[in-house]
Amino acid sequence: MNPDQPSIAEMGRQLRAGTVTSLALTRDALARIEARDGALHAFILVTAERALADARQADSDLAAGHDHGPMHGIPFALKDIYDTAGIATTCHSKLRRHHVPEQDSVVAAHFAEGGAVLLGKLATHEFAIGGPSFDLPWPPSRNPWNTEHITGGSSSGSATAIASGMLRMATGSDTGGSIRGPAAWCGLAGIKPTYGRVSRRGVFPLSWTLDHCGPLARSVEDAAITLQVMAGHDKQDPASADVPVPDFRAGLVRGVAGLRIGIPRAFFAAAKMVTPEVLAAIDRAAHLLCDAGAKVEDVALPDYAIFAAAGRVIMLSEAFAIHRIDMQNRLLDYAEITSGRFVLGAVITGPDYVDALRARRELTDAVNAVLSSCDALLTASSLTTAPRFDAVPDALSSLSPMQTIPFNVTGHPAMSVPVGLAADGLPLSVQIAGRPFDEPTVLRIGRAIETLSGWENVPLPAG
Amino acid sequence: MFAPPSDTALESEFDCLMARAGLTIPPARRAGYLAAFADLRSQIALLHTTRSAAVEPSNVFRLVSPESTR
Repeated sequence: MNPDQPSIAEMGRQLRAGTVTSLALTRDALARIEARDGALHAFILVTAERALADARQADSDLAAGHDHGPMHGIPFALKDIYDTAGIATTCHSKLRRHHVPEQDSVVAAHFAEGGAVLLGKLATHEFAIGGPSFDLPWPPSRNPWNTEHITGGSSSGSATAIASGMLRMATGSDTGGSIRGPAAWCGLAGIKPTYGRVSRRGVFPLSWTLDHCGPLARSVEDAAITLQVMAGHDKQDPASADVPVPDFRAGLVRGVAGLRIGIPRAFFAAAKMVTPEVLAAIDRAAHLLCDAGAKVEDVALPDYAIFAAAGRVIMLSEAFAIHRIDMQNRLLDYAEITSGRFVLGAVITGPDYVDALRARRELTDAVNAVLSSCDALLTASSLTTAPRFDAVPDALSSLSPMQTIPFNVTGHPAMSVPVGLAADGLPLSVQIAGRPFDEPTVLRIGRAIETLSGWENVPLPAG
Repeated sequence: MFAPPSDTALESEFDCLMARAGLTIPPARRAGYLAAFADLRSQIALLHTTRSAAVEPSNVFRLVSPESTR
């Protein structure tokens, strides 16, 4: 079995040309899951019957001339914090093992309306924060590039499923890097859109003011197509922005000539965990963009530690507010890592939280000021490649290899995109961040890096 | 300037905060959580800078008139 499937755009062309059916694509995806998921644990639940029914409907609609858009007939899966009517939504937790929502999340509804085929629900770190954990009803998913290594989290099953070729895209959520982190460590494109771009309604919250929904995908183009279906104003989500949704694919191949790209080098250059290979990968991406006509220069932002502190205080406070009652009554039903993180939310005082929110306003203004003179930022997604399961950094420490939380704090769109493989055979990635609601430029730069680095020709790991 | 408390003071503070939050920490996990508390406490101190009262929190909001939403 070829580990790679055709791109979403190519599958769409074949569906519309009548050279393939959604039913055939779905059966192929189910066969891939059957062949690989036993060792990788991407899925919590495979909804095979639902998928086959969705596929038949998609074929029938297309034959009748009803084309529902770019995801019509395409198999996909949802991180298991996205509500699905009639299908368990567990948050990968013993506490919600039997929870069956009555309604779809807005994003799940968008995919259904768009004719996509739901393959099932994907593993996550418990409640999008606690992992990798072995003391839960389901095991953690494994990195297809080397199964002794973690995927990163919390959208762990999404990354595993795509990097193993089970599907081309899946949903994730990103509160401190949970889309961009697994994407970086599994060689995928993962975009956290601007805060407010995608509705969060029906997605179990970790931290209301930091949570973002978005896609992980095999390629930048796949991510753009998926974001097109996910995005849109939702009057019932108080964070949802009533702004036009652009065509995310329109500028993908325009190149980067003339763009000004800033590198906040102090974020990562002297960070404790950073590896020479990560530094080299960022330099390589910068050189590629320069050679393609972009102007790349170092820029100054506030100290990374302030972004991290503000983000962590906000996240832990809001998460504890959500989980307080269950933590009081069922603490041992959470994974040890999860409860350890939630406990920390209980030690933060009101003034600490307000200080974090005041810092947040200053930090957002500072990023906006830098982005007034450049089109985007290029920085690290992670300071390392994916660690081994037996060498995961202390889950309760403030030190993290991820460099993603600044743009959760500020809400700017940001994406991980792979640039190559490290000596250990694991993917190396960089992060692009852009102006509010300017995902097209972020995707355009990501697509350029994907092409110029040759990543688009790197095959997925064989199963 | 942030001055780290003594180990004893840190433990007392942690126990007090857990009691206030209504949390019962299993003894086997207490040392790990206590270390994480000390680490977080240092991180929080980074936010305790002197800011002008004009620096408002990010959740200050504005209301819109009913007419503007029609």
